[in-house]
Order: sequence, then C-alpha cells, then structure tokens
Amino acid sequence: MAGISIERVSKRYGTVTAVRDLSLEVRDREFVALLGPSGCGKTTLLRLIAGFLTPDEGVIRVDGVALSSTDTVVPPERRGMGMVFQNYAIWPHKSVYENVAFGLEIRGVRRSEARERVTRVLDLVNLAGLERRFPGELSGGQQQRVALARSLVVEPKILLLDEPLSNLDAKLRERMRWELKELQRRTGITFVYVTHDQAEAMALSDRIAVLHQGALLQSGPPREVYARPVSREVADFMGLVNLLPGRVVRAAADDSLVSVAGSEPVRVSLAARLGVGAGVQVAIRPESLRPATDGADLGDAAAGLLRGKVADLTFLGNLIDCHMVLDDGTRVRVQADPDASLQVGQALQVAFDPHACTVFEA
Amino acid sequence: MSRAVATPVPLAVRWPVRAEHVAMAVAAVALAILVVLPLASLLLASITEEGRLSLGHFREALSRRLYVQALRNSLVLGAWTALLSVAVGLPMAWAVSRTDVPAKPFIHATATIAYLTPPYLTAIAFVNLFSPNAGLVNQWLRDALGLPQLTFNIHSMAGLVLVTVLHTFPFVYLLAASALQSVDASMEESARILGAGRWRTARAVTLPLVAPAILAGALVAFVNAIALFGSQAIIGLPGRIFTLPTRIYALFDHPPRYGLASALSLVFVAITVVALALQRRYLARRSYVTFGGKGTRPQVVPLGGARWGALAFCAGIFVVAVLAPYLTLLAVSVSRSWGLDFWQNLTLQHYRFILFEYDVTRRAIVNSLILAAAAATLTVLLGCLIAWGDLRTSLPGRKVLDYVSLVPLGLPGIVMAVALIQFWLRVPVPIYGTLLIILLAYSARYVPLAVRSANAAFRQVDPSLEETARVTGAGWLRTFGSITLPLARPGLFAGWLLVFVPAIQELSASVLLFSSGSMTLAVAVYNLYETGYLGPVAALAIVTMVIIGAAIWLATRLGRAGARLERAGVVH
Repeated sequence: MAGISIERVSKRYGTVTAVRDLSLEVRDREFVALLGPSGCGKTTLLRLIAGFLTPDEGVIRVDGVALSSTDTVVPPERRGMGMVFQNYAIWPHKSVYENVAFGLEIRGVRRSEARERVTRVLDLVNLAGLERRFPGELSGGQQQRVALARSLVVEPKILLLDEPLSNLDAKLRERMRWELKELQRRTGITFVYVTHDQAEAMALSDRIAVLHQGALLQSGPPREVYARPVSREVADFMGLVNLLPGRVVRAAADDSLVSVAGSEPVRVSLAARLGVGAGVQVAIRPESLRPATDGADLGDAAAGLLRGKVADLTFLGNLIDCHMVLDDGTRVRVQADPDASLQVGQALQVAFDPHACTVFEA
Repeated sequence: MSRAVATPVPLAVRWPVRAEHVAMAVAAVALAILVVLPLASLLLASITEEGRLSLGHFREALSRRLYVQALRNSLVLGAWTALLSVAVGLPMAWAVSRTDVPAKPFIHATATIAYLTPPYLTAIAFVNLFSPNAGLVNQWLRDALGLPQLTFNIHSMAGLVLVTVLHTFPFVYLLAASALQSVDASMEESARILGAGRWRTARAVTLPLVAPAILAGALVAFVNAIALFGSQAIIGLPGRIFTLPTRIYALFDHPPRYGLASALSLVFVAITVVALALQRRYLARRSYVTFGGKGTRPQVVPLGGARWGALAFCAGIFVVAVLAPYLTLLAVSVSRSWGLDFWQNLTLQHYRFILFEYDVTRRAIVNSLILAAAAATLTVLLGCLIAWGDLRTSLPGRKVLDYVSLVPLGLPGIVMAVALIQFWLRVPVPIYGTLLIILLAYSARYVPLAVRSANAAFRQVDPSLEETARVTGAGWLRTFGSITLPLARPGLFAGWLLVFVPAIQELSASVLLFSSGSMTLAVAVYNLYETGYLGPVAALAIVTMVIIGAAIWLATRLGRAGARLERAGVVH
C-alpha cells in the first residue's frame, strides 16, 4: 500500500509562489501524471513529495503517515521512494552495475543477493550484458534505463519521475512510454510522473493532474480532462483547441442555447450563473469540426453549423490541417479528411456536435 | 570595398590567402625567438662541454650532494605545499559553495587577494614577524611574554611551506569551488532518495566527482610552489635551505657555470612537465561535473551554529594570508625602526626615499610599468594571431603554433631566463643586460595566458558574424577590424591584464637578467632586502601592491574582465 495524500500544500521561493494551496490524492498503484507548462510548479511538487523541499503550508502523507509538514520533514533517504531525474543523474564515475547496486549496498543487502537482483532488474529494462559499461559509453536511452533500473532495484513503493523521456528522440520516447506503462502494470508501483507533454500524459497515466501557476486546475482520467476541461487553460493545454466567441441566447437549467460565432444557436450545457446575453467562449477541438461541402450529412438538427472560407491548407499525411475564416472574421482550425477536395478561398460549412463543446465564461 | 560588391572577383582575391600566411609567419618567427630557439640553446648547452657532446652536466646535476639536496628540497616543498593547499583551500571551497556560511564574498576575496599578492612580499612580511632574533612576534613571545620556547624560526622548511601555501591555496580553492558548484544537484539527490545520508552521499558521489578538480588544483599548487624564486631565496637561503631555483641562481655567480645551470634547469622542467601533464589529465576528467547538461544548483547545507566555526576558520586564513603581511609591510614602511615600539616613530621618509630620492627605485618603477605594459600588448597581439590562425584558418601547422605557445607553462621563470641567456650569448646581438631581454622573458613566460585569452575571446565570436561581413563585401582586414576585434575586445582586454599583473611583479626571470640600467620593481625589492633596507623595501612593496590594486580596480571597472582574471588565473 502506498497512497500519497497532498493536503493544502504551498511552497514559496521568496515572493514567487511555486505551489499554491494544492491538494491531491494519489491512490495506491495508480499512475498519476502531473501535467503543465514549464514553471507551473509540477517539479516543485515532485520534490516536495520526495522530501527535498519543506512545504511552507500543508501536509504530505503516505499511507496516512505525515512525511512532510511545515515543521518536520522526513529526509529523502528515509522515505523508501525512487526517483528518476530528467537528466538521468547516472553517476559517471560508477559502472552500470555499481550505479544500480548502490541502493542495495546502502540497504546492506548481501553481495550475492545484490548481484541477483541487479541482474534481474537490468534484464527487466533490457540492459542485460552492459553491467561493466560506464555511463559515458551508453546512449541516452540506455542511460535512461539505468536510471530506471537504479530506482526499481530497491523495490520502492512509490516512483517519482521528472520528465524522464524529454531528452530522448521521438521514436525512442514512444517506445519507452510503452515500456514504462508496461513496467508500472507489472510491478504495481505507484507512479507520479511529471511531464509537459499532454500526449505523453494521456498515453501513460490513469489520471492527469493539470497544474497552472502552482495551482491544481483539474484532475481526472485522461479522457475526461481532454473532453471536459474545466477551464480555458486546461482546454488549451490538453491539445489544439478553437476558442470561439459565443453569446447566451437562452439560459435554463437543462435547456440552454448558445450562438457560436454568429451561428444558429445550439443546445449546450451551461454553467448556471450565466444569464441571457452573456458573452462566452466556446471550446471546440479541431477534430470535432466536420467539413460539409455538399450539406448532405447535416441531417442531425441538433448539430451546429459554422460558415466561412478556407484560408489555408496544410497537408499532414493522415489529415489536412485547414485554417478557416468564419463569416464574422473568427479564425478556426479544422481537421479534414486527407481525401477531402478542399481549395483555398472556397466557401465551406463545418458541422459540430454540441456535446463536444465546452462553454467558458468570457 | 564597394568595388568588391559590384563585380564578382575570383575566389583567391576575395580570400586573401597571403594575409593569412603573413600572419602565421609572423607568429611562427615570434614563437621561435621567444620559446623554441632559447629552449634549443638550453638543451644544447646542457649536453655540450667545451664544444663536445657530453652528459657530464647531467651527471653532476644528478649526483652531487649539493644539487640532489636542492632537488629533494624542491620536491619536499612542492609536496607539502600541495597537501596543505588542499587542507586550506578545500574546506574554504566547500564552505563557500555548499554551506550557509556567512560573509561568502569576504572569504572569496581572501583567496583572490592571497593569490594576487606577490609571494616574495609575503615572505618579507613574515621575515619581519618571525625572523629568529628581530621578528616582531618572536620578540614579543621572548621578551614580553617570556616564552622563548614558542618562538618560530621562519628560515626553515616549515616557514617556507607556510609562506608558499599562502600563495598557492587559492588554486585549490578556485578549482574545487567551481567543481563543487557545478556538480548537478540530481547526482546527489539520486543518492539521497536511494537511502544514502548526507555524509554517505558526500563520500560516494560528491567527492569522487570533484576529486579530479582537487587533484588538478594540488598539482598547479605544486608546480607554482617549486618555481617561486623570491620566497625560496628570502626564506630559504638564511636557513641554508637550497632549492632548484636558488641553486641555479647561485651558478651564475662568478665564474658562471652555464652548462650545469642548463642541465639543472632541464631537470627542473622535467618535474614541472610531469606535474602539468598529470594536471591536464585530471582537469580533462573534470568533464564529469558538467555531465547531464542543464542542471540545478546543489542545495546549501545548513551548518547551524557550526557556520560561525567555518567562518572563524576562513577568517583565520584571512588574518595569516592577508591581514598579517599587509599590516606588517604597512607598519614597516612607516616606521623609523622596526621593533615592538615601532609606532612611536612614524615617518614617511621611506616613501620619499624610494619615490623621489633614490634613482634606482624610481627607474625600477618606470621600467616595470613599461615592461609589463609592453609585454602585455605584445603577447596579446601574438595571442590574437595564433588563436585566429588556429580557429579561423585551415593552414597546416596552426596547431603546432598553438601547442608551442603553451610550452612556457612548463618553464619556471628562472629556467626561462637561463634559456634566454644561453641563446642571446650565442648570437651577435647585444641585448643581454638591456630592457629588451627582460621584455622577451616576460613575453615568453606569459604568452600562454595571452593565447588562451585570445582563443576564448575569439571563440565567443561566431564565425557566421564574420562570414556575413565578408558576404556583404568587406575584405579580410576590414572584417577583422570592424567585426572580430570589437566583439572579442572584452576578452582580449582581460588577457592583457592577465599578463600585466604577473609581469609587474615578476622576479624569477628578472633576477638573472637585470642590469643597473634595466632594474625592475621586484628586483629592486629583492636587492634592497638583501642589503637590509627594510623600511624602503616595505614602502616599495606597498607601492607594488598599489599598482597591482589599481590594475585590478581598472579591470573590474572595465566590465567583466575581473571575473575572467580570476578564472583564467587558475590555469596559470
């Protein structure tokens, strides 16, 4: 059992608040991604969990035991956690074997047993046979695995990872992603994973916690955070999104109408406090907009419809990135089928499912 | 220049190969005169006896008790100095870079001033405090406290090591501090999270990572320590402790024994070169500490109450290395007679004497200013040629020039002087005994500093900036003058100061090369000291420090040059 509970934690550096009154529960065996742009406080939060930093307010507990509070902090070496750093932090003066065996040595594990465990964990990360190499002789991906092996060999209950894949090239990153997820499933270790890459966070985690300016904006399963962002920042951070101006036409508990960029009003769910006439922003992802050149598939009366002209087209292989200027001058991006015969300057209608929209106060 | 823009001209004209060749040829000739030919003469003199090849000089140098003892003393001095430099420099480095010790700028300044103080001045100050009979502290212990058993004789190996360490510990301090600061925090944090406590982490991770830097610092301390003629003569000779530099110096008494001096010099060079080769190897391994690229600074260790203890340690070093020598020299320079009641007869007569009345010291001040400025200018110009040739041309031999320009790093000052004498005695150009030969000696000694500074300065100018100028039609010379030089200027200026500061206080080579007409500051100090004029010596010492201080002040005023001075000083 290793659940982490972060309760109203704040951390300040001088006048800068790196983490602001943040509460988050990480359940046992859960894979949680801390997602946010650089400077959002995600690494600070990770280092607070690791015990490298003392919170200015709040408590961090593991399995109900307070490890960090404003007056006492259990030092990192007594937390039994593992941590993988962005730059791997492999010791250059130790061989692969010595790097991995260090934690066992500290724990006074017998030499023969240590040898066995190191071999097993190197096998697990596909580094068998490289025991005697030095870090300088390893590729980035291999160093990354050494870092992973070094943390795993001591069988931590909790593994903290600070952008562990950000220094790898795209292909390797993809593969390591899959391996990490597989590893977490097999070992049942609780993973807290810091990243600024939303695709990585979605691919890996059971739950995403989106941080912005030191505060937790939203936490939930990837699908939910992607489809139902609670704020513009979250919507914006979870991938490409069109933020269109809108106006409330009718405000009722379960029957609200909003006009999007001057279009016919569509039925959407609305925060209760918005009244008729209020300006709003409507978030629609490019893949939720369907070009309708002939108008044939617009049979669904509930669907919204936007009219405009094609301003620019970029062929991306699996899709066409289409920039449109709507009749009221708003620019939107649409993901079109690569086979669609679109031309710059042509008039275009795009349809959208109102359920795919999220409405924010303007 | 507009002509070149208007009509395309053949490649050979747009890239004037001839200018490159001329520049390289000038550099090659200069290095030959400064370094290669003198060294060749030294070698030749060491293996010839009355015109015939012979190993007799080496046999004598390595077998006669006189010289073997000197060799042993030099090694003992170097080893103890290196060891104690670590003992002093490493704790200071750790305190400044890793703890919350108060007054860090003060501690850092202590090391910087200790490094910049000419060691022969420290030696003279300590003689005034600890000479067996007249030393102020010894007098006080013996006469005022009645504790003669506590007196300390400075004219001993212990005294020599003490004075030398005060000059060399900053090498270890600076290298260790920069290494400690650049160890990526995550290196240590990953040990912590794996269960290693603070001390275990320091032992298993931090120490191995910074060990190469500490060792490199110790070796630089060693090399510098054994080369210091001034302190070895001032402290060692009265106690009959001979070292290689003082033995070589003595061989120039009448009748001079050039061959033996050359052989002894080469033995000396061999020691230095081995130490420097080791140092380079260790310094190369320092790449350890920047491993991992983007990193975070290590966390500061809160020392609690112990921080005052750490500060006291550093303050103790300040008192011994800076306060005591400076106060002593100042006190001696303004007192009519040195003793326990020196403040009762204060005077400025010593300053009046050296600045206005005594023409030798007046000339020495002027000479040293001219020599240091000329040597700095010459070496920086030469450094520009060599660095530019190395970085911006593909001429064959440019690497050779670069290497040759570094050779003087392995040549102690006195050896440089011996080599120059050997060479200029063989050619029919009578410059021995003139300012010119001293200028050559300074230029040769400090050309590595200038080349390195120029190299670093040019590296900061991206070649594309020059190429842009060329593409827009500027010729090679125009590009160099209006793009390269202005951009590299701060670095070149730092290089100039880097040469000026040691040159103004140079003693080891000057002491063999001077004549009454080419007296320098340091030689004047040494000669006055030898004849026992302690007051004028101290006054001249203070004047020397004022000049050096003014130069440093100018350096810090004129941009970041001061910081570079310190950094590059480590390589010296």
